[in-house]
Amino acid sequence: MQKIEAVIQPSKLDAVKDALVEIGAEGMTITEARGHGRQKGHTEFYRGREYSVDLLPKVKLELVVKDELLDKAITAITTAARTGTIGDGKIFISKIDDAIRIRNDERGEFAL
Amino acid sequence: MSTIEMTGSGLREKYQQRMLEIRRAFDAGASGVATIAARSRALDEFVTALWTEEVRRDRRLATGITLVAVGGYGRAQLFPYSDVDLLFLLDGRLAEKDAKDAIRRVNQEMWDSGIRISPSTRRLAECERFDEENAEFAVALMDHRLITGDATIYRRLAGQVVPKLLQREQKPLMARLTELTRVRHAKYGDTLFHLEPNIKDCPGGLRDIHVCDWMTMLRGSQPDTRPGTNRNAAEDSDFRQAVEFLWLVRCFLHFRHERDDNSLDWQAQDVAAAAGIGMAGDAPPHADAAYWMRFYFRHARRIERRVTQILGEAPLDKPRLKLLGIRRERRIEPPWRGFRLERGRVMLDSPAVNEGVPSYDPAQDPDTVLDIFETMARMGCTLGEEAERRLLHALPILSAHLEEGPALWQHLQRILTGPHAGDTLRTMHVLGVLELLIPEFHGIDALVIRDAYHRYTVDEHTFVLIDTLHQLEHVQTGPLSEWAAQFARLLRELPHPGLLYLSALMHDTGKGRSTGDHAQESMRMAQGVLQRLELDSYESDLVTSLVENHLEMSAALRRDIFDRQTVRAFAEKVQTPEALRMLTLFTYADINAVHPDALTPWKAENLWRLYIATSNYLDRNVDEDRVGAQEESELVHRVAAQLPGQRSQVAEYLDGFPERYVLTRTPEQIRANFQMANRFAESVVQLDFRYAPAVSELTLVTPDRPLLFANMTGALAAWGMNIVTADAFSNRHGIVVDSFRFTDSFRTLEMNASEHEAFVKSVHDVMTGSLPVEKLLSGRRRGRRKIPKVVVESRVEFDDAASTHSTLLEVVAQDTTGLLHALSLTLARQGCNIEVALVDTEGEMAIDVFYLTRNGAKLDQQEERTLRAALLQAIEENAR
Repeated sequence: MQKIEAVIQPSKLDAVKDALVEIGAEGMTITEARGHGRQKGHTEFYRGREYSVDLLPKVKLELVVKDELLDKAITAITTAARTGTIGDGKIFISKIDDAIRIRNDERGEFAL
Repeated sequence: MSTIEMTGSGLREKYQQRMLEIRRAFDAGASGVATIAARSRALDEFVTALWTEEVRRDRRLATGITLVAVGGYGRAQLFPYSDVDLLFLLDGRLAEKDAKDAIRRVNQEMWDSGIRISPSTRRLAECERFDEENAEFAVALMDHRLITGDATIYRRLAGQVVPKLLQREQKPLMARLTELTRVRHAKYGDTLFHLEPNIKDCPGGLRDIHVCDWMTMLRGSQPDTRPGTNRNAAEDSDFRQAVEFLWLVRCFLHFRHERDDNSLDWQAQDVAAAAGIGMAGDAPPHADAAYWMRFYFRHARRIERRVTQILGEAPLDKPRLKLLGIRRERRIEPPWRGFRLERGRVMLDSPAVNEGVPSYDPAQDPDTVLDIFETMARMGCTLGEEAERRLLHALPILSAHLEEGPALWQHLQRILTGPHAGDTLRTMHVLGVLELLIPEFHGIDALVIRDAYHRYTVDEHTFVLIDTLHQLEHVQTGPLSEWAAQFARLLRELPHPGLLYLSALMHDTGKGRSTGDHAQESMRMAQGVLQRLELDSYESDLVTSLVENHLEMSAALRRDIFDRQTVRAFAEKVQTPEALRMLTLFTYADINAVHPDALTPWKAENLWRLYIATSNYLDRNVDEDRVGAQEESELVHRVAAQLPGQRSQVAEYLDGFPERYVLTRTPEQIRANFQMANRFAESVVQLDFRYAPAVSELTLVTPDRPLLFANMTGALAAWGMNIVTADAFSNRHGIVVDSFRFTDSFRTLEMNASEHEAFVKSVHDVMTGSLPVEKLLSGRRRGRRKIPKVVVESRVEFDDAASTHSTLLEVVAQDTTGLLHALSLTLARQGCNIEVALVDTEGEMAIDVFYLTRNGAKLDQQEERTLRAALLQAIEENAR
């Protein structure tokens, strides 16, 4: 099992979600986030006040998939979230030792 | 095996057989009333038989002890798997130890028969005592019924002990019940709207019905829901129906879960809908769960309303009144207006009687009734029970007397903008008054959106939205407080907040019709309302476009809000700054009204960013987006329609004006400006003055020339007029339209009506050049400068990219009288021509935007530097 954490543009969330459901990865956790990588924020003036955006709005998506689904999931995310500009986001992958379904104690891939 | 055990198991079988019969009868369509009464009877028989066996075994038990049903069992309302509260009551003639074994055996046998029994053993004297810590026992004692045993003890309990206890402890018991109810409601978030409600404990649940009954009993009246009582069938039939519906649903849930589980989960909702539980003849062939839940919410709402009202009627001691924020109403009301306020509740005056015949009933007078709701919205008072009953009764007559049009809009506007509008609208909705005023609202009554995200029914969502907007007026705590303060500033800037609230009220009415596009449908319904209320075309357009576009900002938030294309597309939809402010506030409240956790600081921040980006876009494109000579737009059509036969002249007049000029004025205003421009032969200075006590307006139409704006602002400053907002536009032919909205610092115009003419004449003379503005200013009365509450730092910013042919200048400074004159005079002295001016004020801050040219071109860097220094100096000098 692999855990995918993807930080993407909020405007791409619907597309990414649809793409993941399409390949059969249905369960995911979505968190509203702020952040920046090499893409820095910018400043807007409104009525004499400066509104600087140091941390840009992002959404973080987390899901755990079976090993054989990993490549498909990555392709689904990158294809749907890519605009080709700075700020499209990043994907992090890590190995998962076990999973447990709280309702009935199912373990491993059965719990996904 | 002893005799008693054999008899016991025989009785058990008999009881279990009876329970099976009750279940079969329920499945065959028996009502909730019948089911709970039948189980009570079955229990009565079982308990009686068990005790009879005990007495036969030990004759000492024939006297000195009695078996009393209390709690739900005492009410003879036993749900299929409810606990059974049984009281073994002794009077001292029989020692408790002598009854102990018998009591244990009866309890054991009941337990073994699958009955969850909650037994208690008490001496009669113990029942007289009230224990604050265990008020629940006293409450349970209120519902008592003799099952079997020594009837003389029961007679003493029912005839003396309980009445005395209730009389003596009336106040603490009422206070305790109120407190318990409040805590229970708070546990459920103080709302009856839950996706999977617990129909016993949620607000509007069965426990609230009991509270109604107990409070009524404590006040010495007959409760509503006991079998056999029917206090006032006509008035209470809705409440009664709601009670019976909940009884039925609880029976259904108990049988379904086979235990005392009262949660109406999604699966249970599906099954209940499919079976048409409680819908009798009302069920359409394929009623889904959302449709069925609509029935549930309607009934729960009636119960919640009754319990809130009954708790509100309870006599409260002084500290408690203070706690609830109810103070003595100031007696400043006119002596007679058909109602009065007592302890935070509205009481209707008695109908006037003329020679023994009722001649006038305030409940039937629309003005009085609407005045009541205005008072409620303003002060947060509630409707007294009797007033509510009379209003309900008078509804048909009220409906016949109601007149639509501007007067109704004035009433409705005052209700909507009152700080307690949400609760007032809820009351109006429950009573049917809201539907009387706006029948379009009926379609969304208790309408359920069944998904995991929407918490409230559509009508409640609308009220929560309105609550959210009003709450912006208060300082908030929590993670959203900072954002709430930002949005609150926008709310205070709205010139017509009533229009935002009216849009909010109408925005989801289209959901009542299943056409697919509810925003369009709501807009059509809003148009009907606007016509009936006779709002002018400018106000109507704002409302209809807000209702139609109410999802647009949420949609834009799902796109990249930092992308200029997103901002541009969105700005083109909202068109004007006022519409943008309204839609921003609306969207903030709309998100919050979906679910208590839906509005996060993250969303609020994104919403704010989109707002400022769009606001800046609108201000910075004024100079670019201009009406063309051959414009075939809707805007030109609408103005031309006002001036039949002059289409080409209208098009020529509008040619070259920024679109903003056309978008921010009504066709009637543009017609007036056009006609002023046609009177240049009489005088090249055309002024239109509209006095209003709060903010007056002066419009100037004249051919363009130097110092125009400076002279106008100078004349206004000389009269002590403080400019709140202003704009200045010109067309391709050099006709200028300058509009100023200002407050009257010295109340010159307010105190002396005769001065209106002198004021307009002196402005006119300044503009024609016959009176030098300097002369007028030298005689100017200068008020003492107020010490500002908030110090605003002066800022001068240039933007060369906003327009293709002019330089954008934004000045932010402390708002003082004469500021605009000082700025415009400096601009004129520096040789700058004002192409467009947009003047705004936010609290103590003046925000002035000018599009400038110098010798027909943009300013260069050197010119900008010089101008900046001159402007900062002018601001400083003016502030002295």
